[in-house]
Amino acid sequence: MAHPQIAAFARLADGNDMPVRKIEGQKTKLGRTMHSIIYDPAHDELSVTQDFAHAVMTFRGDANGEDGPIRIIQGPKTRLNGPERHTVDWINDEILVPQGDEIIVFSRTDNGDVAPKRIFKGPDTKLGADALAVDPVNNLLVVVGPYEKEGLKIRMYPRTAEGNTKPLRQVGGPKSMITRLGGPFALYPPKGRIIMTMRPREVGVLGGDDSFTGVWSVFDDGDIPPHWTIGGPNADLIMPRGVALDEKNKTVIITDKRLNAILTYHFPEIF
Amino acid sequence: MITRKTAKTFAHRNRMGMAVVLALLGVGSGILFSGGGEGNWNNLRLSSARLISVEPLPQSFPEMDGAMCEWVPASASGSLFASLQQATPDERAAEREAIRQRKPLRIIKDRYASFSAVAVDPVRDEVVMADESLFQLLSYDRLTNTPPTASMSEPKRMIGGLDTKIDYICGLYIDPGSGDIYAINNDTVDTMVIFDRDAKGNRPPTRELYTPHGTYGIAVDEAAQEIFLTVQHDSAVVVFAKSAEKDDPPLRYLQGENSGLADPHGIALDTERGLIYVANFGSVHYHDATLDNPSRPMYSRGEGKPNWPLTRNSAVPGSGRFYPPSITVYDKNAKGDMAPVRVIQGPKANLDWPTGLAFDPVANELFVTNDMRDEVAVFDGDAQGDVAPKRVLRGAKTMIKNPTGVWVDRVNSELWVASFGNYTATVFPLNAAGDVAPKRVIRSGPLGRQALMIGNPHPVAYDTKREQILVPN
Repeated sequence: MAHPQIAAFARLADGNDMPVRKIEGQKTKLGRTMHSIIYDPAHDELSVTQDFAHAVMTFRGDANGEDGPIRIIQGPKTRLNGPERHTVDWINDEILVPQGDEIIVFSRTDNGDVAPKRIFKGPDTKLGADALAVDPVNNLLVVVGPYEKEGLKIRMYPRTAEGNTKPLRQVGGPKSMITRLGGPFALYPPKGRIIMTMRPREVGVLGGDDSFTGVWSVFDDGDIPPHWTIGGPNADLIMPRGVALDEKNKTVIITDKRLNAILTYHFPEIF
Repeated sequence: MITRKTAKTFAHRNRMGMAVVLALLGVGSGILFSGGGEGNWNNLRLSSARLISVEPLPQSFPEMDGAMCEWVPASASGSLFASLQQATPDERAAEREAIRQRKPLRIIKDRYASFSAVAVDPVRDEVVMADESLFQLLSYDRLTNTPPTASMSEPKRMIGGLDTKIDYICGLYIDPGSGDIYAINNDTVDTMVIFDRDAKGNRPPTRELYTPHGTYGIAVDEAAQEIFLTVQHDSAVVVFAKSAEKDDPPLRYLQGENSGLADPHGIALDTERGLIYVANFGSVHYHDATLDNPSRPMYSRGEGKPNWPLTRNSAVPGSGRFYPPSITVYDKNAKGDMAPVRVIQGPKANLDWPTGLAFDPVANELFVTNDMRDEVAVFDGDAQGDVAPKRVLRGAKTMIKNPTGVWVDRVNSELWVASFGNYTATVFPLNAAGDVAPKRVIRSGPLGRQALMIGNPHPVAYDTKREQILVPN
């Protein structure tokens, strides 16, 4: 991918509409492989991971052009190891980073070379942490990832889990249709919704119309089918990745890598 | 938006099962709903907009001044809920199927080809462009010149489609002997694809080579029959035999703290002096071969292969760094953690996301595209340290916008620049400087229009304050 950037499009942008602003350039310290972006509405900040430089970077919400980050978590004490995804819990002032068999947690305002405030890791955790999100309403940490031969699953933990904490419950199995994670997922805590993309089942393909976006619940337990799906055979998505919610307008925003596009769906059922 | 107060109140309600009133932004009305004692928030019915706070239900409503929206009767949502509950399984299945097939309201997508890389075939008078927006290779007659009144020029041939394994192509090379096209997939595919010069449409590559994850630039030493590739993710240069295919291992690689490689992009060779030039953005982490973290997948097909650069599963936690951008210069046979013989770096060099590189062996000049400065900077081939470019090609007349690809055509004494930012490839004399108009232009989109430059959109966020969709590449 030739040009790293964070492009901000108007909510109603469509087709070839240009972004209203872009964050880009040397001073931004951005690289490609930004596999996670979080907008923190409480503090009007946005946060991204920087895989190559083992960093989590926070920008002002209105950052534009070559505006640099206002905080960077980076350095030997951090344990950061190619962070791909993360989340910001602006309610409880924490940044959580999944790193395979561990989740490391920082204070939201940490800056520089700081040690994690807690580490969630151990054989009983069944991590597998590819992506995560915090549900502050139901006080849950929701983690998606594979664990040994169990395949990809959603696992719910107490929000403040650390050490060798077991999952409270988990969702996975053939009926669940949870097969290959598309990208970072979204939560809608007031209703306990988990909105997550699945990429094609076949490994190595550039796209497939069995891709979809599904909705599960943080209260689900076991091999539970998605409550709703968008996509699947003979629909629009072929390699969906990330999800964002616009609660006010009852829409779900989905990126699709192979379409190289951002799609907005009306989805009032989940709100 | 969930606020701290909201979350705490929700949590309290979960515990106590008490009734609450949600204050909803944007409609100015409250929605009353009752909660069960089980703490199951699936039973909540929100009928509007953005949740900003939760207040305990007062014993009695105080008098309220000013305008007040009409209350929605609790029975209304109750009736709706009841009717949904009464739906038959077939009706619910039909509703789910309708949702499954729902069409998007809007799709942000660039419908024009955006040129990320360029390569010239002077033998056959063709030029090939890589298109990262629509995943294609586009071949044009070398002398094509898009008139200002035309929206674009039609290519002679197009290669694209799922069977081609063309995804985010950042680097191109054309074999001067055969005319074969070598195309580097950055990220996502871990495969270099090679097409014969007559290939077109959606067809498998003539040959494939499995590469480390995140290859970006390509340079070829025809005399030695070696291919040099940069590797962004793990900051390396890897060298394969030019004839390598599929699982053939590299011949050697360059990687490590001494190498100065840091998010390498473009690469160029000076085969006469035996030098490699590499453009670095500056982000890097380091590796330790004794580490093997099985929970960090390799993301490539190098397991068990000799001379494969170290990957993320042997990354040293916390070893990430940001360095200023640079051009690092190595002996052509450098390998391991060898240091560069020279480095161009510093304020005078004025590098800003240096992306594409090309070398002119006759003039001993290095051409660098500075993506963010909309320019091509030309350095003396012997430049070292904090040195300014000897000339810069930049300005409105040049039509250069976010240039990511550059090619020196020695046969025709021409410089080609692929501008990812405006659907344009421009042709200049090799000694062009300043704000000069190109000799020719090939456009894939309307004149003056800027490209969206969306590339591998993965995560997405919604800025509720500005009502904006945030999309990183």
